[in-house]
Amino acid sequence: MKIKNLKFLVLLTLTTIIAGTMLTGCGGGSTSASSGSYSNGTVNIFNWSEYIPDTTIKAFETKYHIKVNYTTYASNEEMLAKVQASKGQYDLAVASDYMVDSMKKQNLLETVDMANVSNFKNIGSKFKNLAFDLGNKYSVPYTWGDAVIVVNTKKFKGDITSYSDLWNSKFKNSMVVLDDERALIGIALKKLGYSMNETDPTKLAQAQAELIKLKPNITAFDSDSPKTKLINGDASVGYVWSAEAYLAEKQNKDLKTFVPKEGVYLWQDNFVIPNGAKNKKNAELFINYILDANVDAAIAKSFPYSSPNEAAYNYIDKSILNNTTAYPTNGVIKNGEHLKDVGNALKIFDQVWTEFKQSN
Amino acid sequence: MIQLVAINKSFKEHKVVNDISIVINKGEFLTLLGPSGCGKTTTLRMIAGFEEPTSGEILLDGIDVSTKNPYERNVNTVFQSYALFPNMDVYNNIAFGLKIKKLSKEVIKEKVTKVLVLVQLEDFGDRYPSQLSGGQKQRIAIARAIVNSPKVLLLDEPLGALDLKLRKQMQFELKHLQKKLGITFIYVTHDQEEALTMSDRIAVMNEGKIEQVGTPDEIYNKPKTKFVADFIGETNLFEGVIETHSDNKLSVLLDSDEKIDVIDGTLDKLKQGDSIYITIRPERMKLSHSKVESKNMLKGIVKERIFVGSINKTVIKLSNEKEVIINEPAIDTLKFQGEGDEVYVSWEYEDSVVINQ
Amino acid sequence: MKKTKKSKNKKQTASIVTTISPVLLWMIILVAIPLVIVFIMGFLTRGIYGQVEYIFTFQNYADLLKPMYVQIFVYSLWISFITTLICLVLAYPFAYFIANVKAKYKVLLFMLIIIPFWTNSLVRTYAWMIILGTNGIINSYLLQFGVIKEPLKLLYTNGAVILGLVYTLFPFMVLPLYASIEGLDKSYVEAASDLGASPLQAFLRVTLPLTMSGVAAGSVLVFIPSLGLFFIPDLLGGSKTMLISNLIQNQFLTARNWPFGSAVSILLIIITIIFIILYFNKSKNKGLEVM
Repeated sequence: MKIKNLKFLVLLTLTTIIAGTMLTGCGGGSTSASSGSYSNGTVNIFNWSEYIPDTTIKAFETKYHIKVNYTTYASNEEMLAKVQASKGQYDLAVASDYMVDSMKKQNLLETVDMANVSNFKNIGSKFKNLAFDLGNKYSVPYTWGDAVIVVNTKKFKGDITSYSDLWNSKFKNSMVVLDDERALIGIALKKLGYSMNETDPTKLAQAQAELIKLKPNITAFDSDSPKTKLINGDASVGYVWSAEAYLAEKQNKDLKTFVPKEGVYLWQDNFVIPNGAKNKKNAELFINYILDANVDAAIAKSFPYSSPNEAAYNYIDKSILNNTTAYPTNGVIKNGEHLKDVGNALKIFDQVWTEFKQSN
Repeated sequence: MIQLVAINKSFKEHKVVNDISIVINKGEFLTLLGPSGCGKTTTLRMIAGFEEPTSGEILLDGIDVSTKNPYERNVNTVFQSYALFPNMDVYNNIAFGLKIKKLSKEVIKEKVTKVLVLVQLEDFGDRYPSQLSGGQKQRIAIARAIVNSPKVLLLDEPLGALDLKLRKQMQFELKHLQKKLGITFIYVTHDQEEALTMSDRIAVMNEGKIEQVGTPDEIYNKPKTKFVADFIGETNLFEGVIETHSDNKLSVLLDSDEKIDVIDGTLDKLKQGDSIYITIRPERMKLSHSKVESKNMLKGIVKERIFVGSINKTVIKLSNEKEVIINEPAIDTLKFQGEGDEVYVSWEYEDSVVINQ
Repeated sequence: MKKTKKSKNKKQTASIVTTISPVLLWMIILVAIPLVIVFIMGFLTRGIYGQVEYIFTFQNYADLLKPMYVQIFVYSLWISFITTLICLVLAYPFAYFIANVKAKYKVLLFMLIIIPFWTNSLVRTYAWMIILGTNGIINSYLLQFGVIKEPLKLLYTNGAVILGLVYTLFPFMVLPLYASIEGLDKSYVEAASDLGASPLQAFLRVTLPLTMSGVAAGSVLVFIPSLGLFFIPDLLGGSKTMLISNLIQNQFLTARNWPFGSAVSILLIIITIIFIILYFNKSKNKGLEVM
């Protein structure tokens, strides 16, 4: 009888341990805040990769005694999928303009209490109160920029003036492009003279046909760090974010940036607080921290995405501010196009993307 | 005709076969007999080609094949585990060697059928080895080997896995088959009874050496070494010094001060004072109450009586504490063979066999 | 008498159940329930923003029949097939070698295969990128020694993808093959040799057929995972090829069509089950050992 009881006890313990381990896994990424110097809790941040340097995170942790749990993604869609799937797991995320719009409509965002973000005043006025979030109820601008074409001038002579130049067969197997459906379908639409926010199925079908013709020129899709491929020569042409282009040019003198005449894909990334965030105050504190002029200038040093923080311009290297890759001219901005949420047509975009990806 | 010339085989530092030379005659049934580890299987494997001799030659009809691969020798083996290919049916197992030789389908069919009849398993062609009994597998293994008409058939303890009755039956059948086909059989076994039953000649091996080669009769009745005398059958061994040697008769003094006489015309080399062994088979000894004349005779007490079915085995303790075994046919159960009885053990002078080593 | 028998059986079953209950619980919560969720999801509809709406439909499975997706499936099966074949051709001699070498070397050779396994496969895939890249190790050496004038395009090709898959799944082929070859009774090969077969003939007619169980097991262990390794086509193929694994990844992360992604996943699971059933049937028929 005693042995039987023991056996049962052991099994009960095992079962409890296994069940317990699984359930703690379900509880989200937040760990106990009482570890060492993190007396003020935690904040769970979900951001683009290569967007906030480690040093900034560490500095925030030290200053405010808040533990930062930092996870990254490489596309807006990836971020959306994960935020949709896990309410309360993230306290802070960064969404591009059209995505803020879309998330708003899906009730995925909490309003930001601007009383906790006093540094909001540092942001330049042309970046505030934009169509996707009038009055900045849900979003705080973080960075802006565009997507540009980079060419290794040692390999390919001559300028790129239009998107259609990319279709030239001389670029066979030499392009690295963003693994981003709106960006890529966008350039096909631009090439055809349409808007990047086109929803007409016939026009989208044309864009698909164009993209499939472009495929042979593409050697790799990479939204994570395409500059690496450009710098080390795995790719000689790139369609990448502006800051990536700037960094690539810095490291490899043969690389040159071109802005096509049809106009660039303009974007603005904004801090948002997902619905159900557990550490909302800490998230707002973090936003405010980033918006500090000095902190933002330091970030701009590592990842030179264009900053909307005009107070920080006093501390940012003049050479970067004057560099047209990192800080597109007003002319380019005027000619550029912001993405909008395309509603139901997104399904068509998805199908175009799948067909394009699996074509040969 | 196979000839092994000064064959040695060592595995690392361990010498397994030590300077073996033997001639095996065509059409002969020769058995390599010995205890486990005596080197008989290694010797067989060297003839087959699975091991290469460390030194020495193996001549098949005069040609040295010691460095040739097994598939280059016209020799076939019946394995102890049969080694029938599990992925082929009986027909294809047997046909294996013929297919390698690229014989035509018709010829193969003819030969395979013929050999299946020979081993009395005509209808078993489409069965798989897993569906066969031990005895059937053994016969198919033999069939698979002999269908290739080898000059020599090597058999490595092929009957070891069979039960006693089947084994006895197979011994008979194998001998019969060998006579019929006229192939030279080299047979390996540790079972001396098997060897005595089947062989034309036996090579008794011990610790890598050949102790004696001879016909079953010679091996049994005229063992040349202590090992052979002891290994084959039962024996009673005496040690003594030659007292007198005249004509064919030897008189040997035992340490019990008793004397044994030997009549043997082949022992001229021995002289007075030589130390020798004498062996007498238990069935050559007789027991009696009274003294016996003109025979060797020793006095003793009955220690133990053992009933072995057709034989009465009696253990007698002699005056020097030495024990001897006497085997008598169990037809007379004589009254005085009770334990503790005083008896006389006697045997003919000619039945004493002298061994030098 | 009957009573004691019944209670004995009851006790036995109770004992078995309590012994496996932790594993059973784990299996139910982490395997069975998620599978059911995925299965049901395949019949639901995608909302405008990519949420899941509880509207029952067969459309997802119907969509699978579109030529574009059929092509993806066929191509994926093809890549997995090639991977398996190459693994087999490379792994067999290696396994054979290990099985026949002296015992003291066996351990060393096994370590050569197993130790890389202790490193994360993602990290090892990145290592291949460094080796194959335009300025990578191979190209640097070849250029330096003047063997080539221009760097070779090794990375972001189908070849690189297959290389990555074969490399990652190689041990899964070697180990069952080794077990099968090692377990082969040496006397079969000796018998073949004795009957006149050259080493090559003995291999083809005896060794290979008798190690088929290892071949089958290894093939299943390579083929099925290869259908699911999406990060290798992503990293080594430049994310250019859309295989089943990438399609599923795409549907869940980018296209945010969980219902369709679920349908594709279920189809992948069904294909996997079909192959496993085929494997088990084949093993049974031939009466060979099932790994």
